[in-house]
Amino acid sequence: MTTPYLRVRNVTKRFGHFTALDDVSIDIHRGEFVCFLGPSGCGKTTLLRAISGLDIQTHGAVEQDGRDISALPPAQRDFGIVFQSYALFQNLTVAANIAYGLENRKRPKAEIQRRVTELLELIGLPESGPKYPGQLSGGQQQRVALARALAVSPGLLLLDEPLSALDAKVRAHLRDEIKILQRRLGITTIMITHDQEEAISMADRIVVMRGGRIEQIGAPLEIYHRPANLFVAEFIGAMNLLPATRIGYGEIQLGSARLACAAEGYAPGAAVRAAVRPEDIVCTGKTNGHANSLRAEVREMEFMGPFFWLSLGGGELGEHRLRAQLPSQRARDLDLRANDATHLHIPAERIRLFPHGVGHG
Amino acid sequence: MAELALAAPRIRPRLGRDEWLMGGGLLVLALYLAVTLLLPLALMLAKSAQDRDGAFVGLANFARYFGNPALSGTVGNSLWVSALATAITIALAFGYAYALNRSRIPFKGLFRLVAMLPLLAPSLLPAIALVYLFGNQGVLKGWLFGESIYGPIGIVIGSVFWTFPHALILISTALGTADARLYEASESLGASRWRTFTTVTLSGARYGLISALFVVFTLIITDFGVPKVVGGPFNMLATDIYKQVVGQQNFQMGAVVSLLLLLPAVLAFFVERWAQQRQISSLSSRAVPYQPKPRRSRDRLALVLVVTVAVMILGVFGMAAFASLAKLWPYDLSPSLRHYDFSATDGGSWASYGNSIRLGLYTAAFGSLVVFIGAYLVEKTRVAKPLRTATHLLALIPMAVPGMVLGLAYIFFFNAPGNPLNFLYGTMAMLVLATIAHFYTVGHLTALTALKQLDPEFESVSAALKAPFYRTFWRVTTPLCLPAVLDIALYFFINAMTTVSAVVFLYSPDTTLASVAVLNMDDAGDTAPAAAMAMLIVVTCAGVRLLHVGLSRELLNRTQVWRRR
Repeated sequence: MTTPYLRVRNVTKRFGHFTALDDVSIDIHRGEFVCFLGPSGCGKTTLLRAISGLDIQTHGAVEQDGRDISALPPAQRDFGIVFQSYALFQNLTVAANIAYGLENRKRPKAEIQRRVTELLELIGLPESGPKYPGQLSGGQQQRVALARALAVSPGLLLLDEPLSALDAKVRAHLRDEIKILQRRLGITTIMITHDQEEAISMADRIVVMRGGRIEQIGAPLEIYHRPANLFVAEFIGAMNLLPATRIGYGEIQLGSARLACAAEGYAPGAAVRAAVRPEDIVCTGKTNGHANSLRAEVREMEFMGPFFWLSLGGGELGEHRLRAQLPSQRARDLDLRANDATHLHIPAERIRLFPHGVGHG
Repeated sequence: MAELALAAPRIRPRLGRDEWLMGGGLLVLALYLAVTLLLPLALMLAKSAQDRDGAFVGLANFARYFGNPALSGTVGNSLWVSALATAITIALAFGYAYALNRSRIPFKGLFRLVAMLPLLAPSLLPAIALVYLFGNQGVLKGWLFGESIYGPIGIVIGSVFWTFPHALILISTALGTADARLYEASESLGASRWRTFTTVTLSGARYGLISALFVVFTLIITDFGVPKVVGGPFNMLATDIYKQVVGQQNFQMGAVVSLLLLLPAVLAFFVERWAQQRQISSLSSRAVPYQPKPRRSRDRLALVLVVTVAVMILGVFGMAAFASLAKLWPYDLSPSLRHYDFSATDGGSWASYGNSIRLGLYTAAFGSLVVFIGAYLVEKTRVAKPLRTATHLLALIPMAVPGMVLGLAYIFFFNAPGNPLNFLYGTMAMLVLATIAHFYTVGHLTALTALKQLDPEFESVSAALKAPFYRTFWRVTTPLCLPAVLDIALYFFINAMTTVSAVVFLYSPDTTLASVAVLNMDDAGDTAPAAAMAMLIVVTCAGVRLLHVGLSRELLNRTQVWRRR
C-alpha cells in the first residue's frame, strides 16, 4: 500500500467549550474522491477548513504529500477550493477569473491565455470568456469557479457543498460532470455535502460524520449495505428499523414471525433492532415460496411512478409497521391493492441487527 | 485516543505574509484611532479633575459647577429646550415620513429632496435666517406677539430645522419597511383604522422612532451653532463650553461641561445601537411591501402637512439667500453681490472659503481612504481577533462624542507641552484629523455594510490562488465597494464644510474656515455677509452632491459593466 497523499491525524477543533471536531483521523490517497457527509453541525465544514488552513485546528496534525502543513496559513498550502456561493469576482470577466491565480504566478501572457482557453473548453463554456459572472446561470458560474480552482493545477481540490445552491436538474448534470472531470484529471478531491445521494453517486469513499466524530468510513456500497451503526443505517437511504428479539441460533422474532439472519454477537433473548431496506422486501402476493417470509396486510399504497411505497402492518407483523418499495410492474402482476393480505420475503443476508435503543440522538 | 489528543500540543498557527501585513495594518489603525481619539478624550477626562495649575483636585470642579446656579442652571435650560425641540422635530418628521411612505401624495421625490436640504447647510444658517425673519427688524416679527426670537424660541425653531432631515431619514427607513401582510391581517380582523395605526404602523416603526428620538435629542443638546446665533442671553451647555474656553480661558470648567455633554450622547449611542439591531431583526425577508391605497381625506391632510413643512424649509433658505443678496437690509432691498465681497468684514474672507474647500477635499480623500481600509482590516483580518474587536469599538466612539467635546480634547492633547505632535497644533492637518475623527463612525459603518455584502469567501479563494490580499483588495474588493466609498467621501466633504463645533477651537489665523467665519461675522454684527458665507457653503455642498450623483452614474456606466445583465 502506498503512503496516503493526505493524512489527518487526531484533529480536534474547539471553539471555547464547544468541541466541533473530536479526534478525527482519515487517510486519503492520491487521486481519490472522498465525500464528507453528515447533517449540519456534524463538523464536516470545520474539518475542511482545518485541511485548507482557513480555520486551523486546535490539536492534531495534517500532512499533505509527506509535508506537515498543520500550522501553515492557507497561502502556503497547495489546494484549490470551490464554495457553495461560487465566490466569483463579479467585476472581472470569466476569463479574468480563471486567469486570476495564473497571473499571480507571473506566467507569460500567452501561456495564461492558452490555459484559460483550455479550461473554458474543459468546462464546456468556450465562448464565455469575455462575459461577466452575473450573465451566467448558477450552474455555469459554478463551473467557472471550478475552472478557476483548477487553473493553477493544485494537488488537492476542496469542494464545499458546490451543488447545494443549484436546482435539482442542474445539480444532477453537474454532479456527473464534476465526477468525469475529477477522474480525467486524477486530482485528489474532498467534497462536503449533506446530500447522501450526491455522496453515494460521486465518491470513491464516504466519511460519515456526526457531532464532530467520524461514524464510518467506506465505499458507497459498503456504507449503504453494511452501515456500521444505527446512525449511519438511518442517515443513508431509507431504512426500516424494527424492534425484535434474538431467539434460537441465527434467528430473530419479529412480531409473531421468525426470520433467519446473521445474529452473531447477540445473546439469545436479547432485544435488538432489525434493519431492512424497503427495496429489499420482496412482495410475493398470495404465494409463499420462500423460507424467510411473513404475512402482512397492505395498509397504504402510494404511487411514485416507477414504484409504489407500501405501508405494511397487521398479520404476523402485528403492531409493527414496515415500509416496502414495490416495482410498479410487479404490483401490476400481483394485482395488489390496499387492504390486501400478502406474503413478504426478506432475504436473511439483507437483515442487519443493531443493539436496541443505542445510537439515537 | 482522547487522552492522546488532549496530551498533544496545541497547534500554533504560523503567520504568512498576508497575516503579518493585515495584523500590522490593524495595529497601525488602532494606534491612529488611539492618538486622534482616545488619548485626547482621556486627557480631557483628567483635566476635569485638575485645577488651573494641573494639580489633582478630584471632583472639586464639578462641585463648583453645580454650586454656581448661573452655571448649573444651563443644564436645566439645555434639557427642556432640547426635549421640546426634539418632540416637535419627531412629530413633524413622523408626519412627513408617513406622508412620503404611506399616502398617495404627488411629487414624493421632490418633497424628499427638499426635506434633505438642511443637511447641506451649517446649523448657523437657519439661525441667521430666523434673525431676518423674526429679529428686531424681521419681516415676520409680529408673529411672535412681542416675544423675542433671541432665546428659547429661536433655539427651538432653529434646531427643529436642521435636525429635521436626520429624524426623517431614520423614521422613513422604519416606515418604509412595512409588511403589507400585517395590514391585510389587521383589516380582515375588522380592526379600526386607528387600531391598525397604533398596533401595526406605530409598533412597526417604534425602533426607528426611539432611535430618532435619541439621535435628535443628542444633536440638539450638543449643537453649538443655533444657540450661539439666536440664543441671546439664554445659556445652553454647548455655548457654555465655548464661553468657558474661548471667553474665560477656563479649560478645566470647559472639560467639566464637556463631560456633562458626553452623558446624553453616550446614552443615545447605546439606545441607537440597540434600536438598530431590533429594527433589522424584526424585518423578515418574506415581507410583502406595503402599497398605500388612495384615500382622499388622508392624502389631502398629508399634502397640507408636507407642503407646509417644505415651504418653511424653502422659506428659511430663501430668507438667507435674500438677505445675502439685499443691498442694505431692511432699507435698500435691491439685489447686490456686495455681501459676497468679504474684504470689508471682520472674521471672514474668501480665504476661509478656500480653506473650507481644502479641508473638505482632504477630509474626503484621506477620510474615505482610512475609513475604508480600516473597515476592510477589521472585517477581513483572519488573525488578532481581540485587536479587531478593539479597533471596531474605537471606530464606534466618535458617534458618542459631541464635536465641542472632541475639539476641546484636541486642544488639551495637541497643545500639551511635550507632546511630539505639538507641531500639528493650529495646522490644516490637525483640522483634517479632527474632522475625520469627528465623523469616523458613520463612514466606518457604511464601509462595513458594503463589505459584508460581498461574498465572505473572496479572501479564502484568493489565498488558495496564492494571490496576496492587497491584490484582491485592489482588483476586486475596492471596485465592488466603490459606490460606498464615494458615499463616504461625500459624507466627509459635506460635514467638513458645514461643521462648526469641533473646529471652532482648533483653527488658527492661517486656517480660518467658512463655517467658523459665518459664526464670527455674525458675532461681529456682519449678519448679511454671514448669510452670504452660509449660502456659499450651501451652494458648494449642493454642487458637490450633484457631482457625486453624476460621478456615481458615470462610474456605474464605465467600470461597473458587470452589474448589467
